[in-house]
Amino acid sequence: MTSSNFRSWPLYLILTVISMPLVIMYVYLFVDTVTDTTAGSLIPDRFTLHHWRFLWEEPETGRVSIWTVTLNTFIFATCTTLINVSASVTAGYALSRLNLPFKRFFLGGILTLHAFPTITLIISIFLILQMIGLYNTLIGVILVKAALELPLGIWIMKGFFDNVPWEIEMAGLQDGASRFTVWWKLVLPQVQPGVAALSVFVFLSAWSEFILPQVLAPSGSAQVLSTYLSNLIFDDMKPDFNMFKSVGVFYALPVIIIYLIFNKQLMNIYGGGTKG
Amino acid sequence: MRRAHLLGLGFLSPALAIILMLFLIPVLLTVMFSFTNMSTATGISGGAYEINAASLRKLADAGAQESFVETLGKESFVVDDAGITAAAAAYGEQFANEVGSQMLGERFSSRRDLERAFRKLKSRPRSTRDIKKAANLFKRSVLNIRFETAGGLVGAVTDNGIEMTPDQQELLTKTIYTGWTWTSDNFALMAQIPYVWRVAGNTVLYVVLTLAASVGLGLFLAITTFYLPSSSATSFRAIWFLPRILPNVIFVLMWKWLAWDTGFLSSLFANFGVPPRNWMLDTGVNAWVFIVLINGIVGASLGMILFGSAIKSIPQSMLHASEVDGASRWQQICYIILPQLRWPIMFICAYSTLSLLTSFEYILLSTDGGPGGATEVWSLMAFHTALDNYAGNLQYGLGAAMALMLVIVGILASLVYLRIFNFNDLVAKPRIEQ
Amino acid sequence: MRISIENFTKSFGDTTVIEDMSLEIGDGEMLALLGPSGCGKSTTLFAICGIHRMNAGRLMFGDTDVTEVSSQKRNVGVVFQNYALYPHMNVYENIAFPLKVRKESKAEVDRKVQEIAGLVHIGELLQRRPMQLSGGQQQRVALARALIRKPDILLLDEPLANLDAKLRLEMRSEIRRIQLATGITAVLVTHDQVEAMSMCDRIALMDKGQIVQLSTPKDMYENPSSDFVAGFLGNPPIAFLDGTVADGEFRLANSQVTLPVPSGIEIPGEGAPMRFGVRPEFFQPGNPLKVPGKVSFVETQGREELYDVMLENGAVLRSIQSQNAGFRLGQEVSWGIEQDRVLAFGPDGNRL
Repeated sequence: MTSSNFRSWPLYLILTVISMPLVIMYVYLFVDTVTDTTAGSLIPDRFTLHHWRFLWEEPETGRVSIWTVTLNTFIFATCTTLINVSASVTAGYALSRLNLPFKRFFLGGILTLHAFPTITLIISIFLILQMIGLYNTLIGVILVKAALELPLGIWIMKGFFDNVPWEIEMAGLQDGASRFTVWWKLVLPQVQPGVAALSVFVFLSAWSEFILPQVLAPSGSAQVLSTYLSNLIFDDMKPDFNMFKSVGVFYALPVIIIYLIFNKQLMNIYGGGTKG
Repeated sequence: MRRAHLLGLGFLSPALAIILMLFLIPVLLTVMFSFTNMSTATGISGGAYEINAASLRKLADAGAQESFVETLGKESFVVDDAGITAAAAAYGEQFANEVGSQMLGERFSSRRDLERAFRKLKSRPRSTRDIKKAANLFKRSVLNIRFETAGGLVGAVTDNGIEMTPDQQELLTKTIYTGWTWTSDNFALMAQIPYVWRVAGNTVLYVVLTLAASVGLGLFLAITTFYLPSSSATSFRAIWFLPRILPNVIFVLMWKWLAWDTGFLSSLFANFGVPPRNWMLDTGVNAWVFIVLINGIVGASLGMILFGSAIKSIPQSMLHASEVDGASRWQQICYIILPQLRWPIMFICAYSTLSLLTSFEYILLSTDGGPGGATEVWSLMAFHTALDNYAGNLQYGLGAAMALMLVIVGILASLVYLRIFNFNDLVAKPRIEQ
Repeated sequence: MRISIENFTKSFGDTTVIEDMSLEIGDGEMLALLGPSGCGKSTTLFAICGIHRMNAGRLMFGDTDVTEVSSQKRNVGVVFQNYALYPHMNVYENIAFPLKVRKESKAEVDRKVQEIAGLVHIGELLQRRPMQLSGGQQQRVALARALIRKPDILLLDEPLANLDAKLRLEMRSEIRRIQLATGITAVLVTHDQVEAMSMCDRIALMDKGQIVQLSTPKDMYENPSSDFVAGFLGNPPIAFLDGTVADGEFRLANSQVTLPVPSGIEIPGEGAPMRFGVRPEFFQPGNPLKVPGKVSFVETQGREELYDVMLENGAVLRSIQSQNAGFRLGQEVSWGIEQDRVLAFGPDGNRL
């Protein structure tokens, strides 16, 4: 809100000052990927594409190609989204609309899990995956990630289903449709914005996930971009920040694009108070 | 159970299956594991019995008689069918037959004795080296052999002519088992860790500071951007929202670059004659500043969005009325805006306390608990103990016990939250009754 | 199709909404379930269409017991208050949905949709989305969707509540026209007595989960069974005078004014409380049975004028008169009541 009763410039000043560190980091994140800077100087002085060589050069022995890793990340994020959204959409509907024994118990459970320190379970999940042989596989990480985001997903979808008018469903039943048809053909189309928002949210969350792949699938073949980048950073004794940043920008680009396209849907999930 | 219930359960079942598999079972297993001594050394799938140099040392430490340990460790030489067959293949039937007919069943405590006995035979191999080799064919030992069961081990030991009292037998099988066993020692062990209280203190400090930073900064951003024209407000919000959705590896990478000894801060301060250093890991205080900044800014992103949408829902007329009434901007914030934000602030505090208590990704990526454990928090300690440490022996059992503490705190806190956030309002009765 | 509800009881949790209600609706009849909000009229409607289960009682369509039959198999069309059009489908798809569910052939669906669209006058709107329609058009689409599969019964849940005043008038006659054209048995749920009276053959007036009177609109207006019914019907509403029986006459409370009791009613004992109901059209300057008072309120309604007259004990009588009668606020008047049109109620509120 702008009001002629108040001045704006002090706000601009103070916001600009505290935003400065972040802006500097963002700017250098991008600029450093295509330039070289003389040691000790802050101003880049040469243009180069050298830092992006990981895209076309053969990987060093022992390292996996960035394209394989990207594909892994994409598979990981997509499958996680699919599993999470399908389970959320059905469970959210059941909790919002259907007759259910122990409904209070289920809802309370979902809420508890939602607030629950999921990461604390990683030790036992690690051991379980080892025991059932899904350690170091993408399937394992996908299942775990989809599950960890599930309480939030169910909660969000329940919120969206709650807002569909009951009369639509009643009308559907009167028109002779089964409850399943009513759900599939009449209710689901009404919550499409919710499904879209949740999908974007889960996809981004999986795309950025670090701890789970790091612990549950650390080796080469199942590596994703987050672990690839962090291995790169931890391995090197002499850090090549320009190269790290290039990999980082390559990794972050989809996130930024998705953010720009689905800005509104994301705000819906982050800001809509859907988390409680 | 009515048909309608089945429909509901059917819709719920995929989620239930996943939750059962990856939440409930892990919680139960966390409890279970915390009562075991599982580690890399014991393995997770069960173990075996094997007498070797290390396990003999363990046996001596556990109080076994010296002579018993010595006997177990010794090799013995037994003339048996297996040895004779091997000797026949290597040195001919004649030698083997002779050994068989004259010495079958005899036992020698050293190779020299057996060699001496061989030398008396007519068809013995000619060279000393061959006699030595032939003697080795009869070497029998329980050393370095894996037995799947305690019975197998005991049988082999007795076969080698070592007599054991029942006490000795029990001590042996218990001490040299390589797999995991049930124990309640983890909690005592945890209390004995010298830095455990410091870690607990760190955890509280981390939660309090980060929460204060994110709520404070989030409020500040939400309110200031609210008063700006929407185009510039959008830019500022984008700058501050990005940390939330940027992958954490990249976000931390930016801070590392900022703090590195050849990074931005060092280069900047070099102009003022300050020697370059790693600003993040330089001192404990610096490390804390960075930890709170990194986590606080990510938290502030969420706070800004939540508070922002709450402020937006305040009726414009209320703000206009307060201005007509002569309120300054500060008074407007204090008396109109902040009271409307009580609920979101409470929510953020409740939600973040729990998630901060257990999240350690940003700390792991930035300081990894350093320097010298200054920024180690409880969840990170559990992670280090069980899944990632320099010593290489990952103590799953102890780590699970540490995690169990957090699980308990988490469940208790959730129960409290369910009370606060008026759970009953959320349970609606279905309006279609078929 | 005849509908009979026998001994219907419905409760939600611990609260009983409807207790032991019975109602018979004739074939081809249009019946209104009228009553204040919370009286159980919508619950009754939801029980007829099967969205709510009955806790006790029996529901018959014709000679078939449908108490345990699911909504989908009852062949009942419903028009909801907010029309419940499917927002993601266009008008054609909305109307065709009940047929699609039954997997009827494309040609058949098309023929029926065109036919029903003609009946409700929305032939030119078929490609639009519900969002692009006015309230009245949405209403017509909802009707078409409810009628397309030739239901045995049509249920209308507050169908006019979401329309503005002008459209409400138009749709009132439209719905009645369509109901008569199809000859379908219809039940209209409404809280608006004008709707109920203008559209329906009979009215079942409900209060607190009970049917208090079941009658034709005209009969119910003229012969209400209780002061509740009398107060519910009529606009502007009836005025009530409280008093007691004194010497075979009605004496106004806290007053010496007495009025003769209408002929042909049984007068309760001396001193018993009694209530007179006087409709505004029967309190006019020209009538003989004069009651003095002071004009306390004047409302011009265009063609007519509405007056409130405060009697000496503070009770208020209402009068509706043709325009230009020219009475002013505060004026002392002495207007008369039409004696045989007075409705007299006993102490329990029932008509004497």
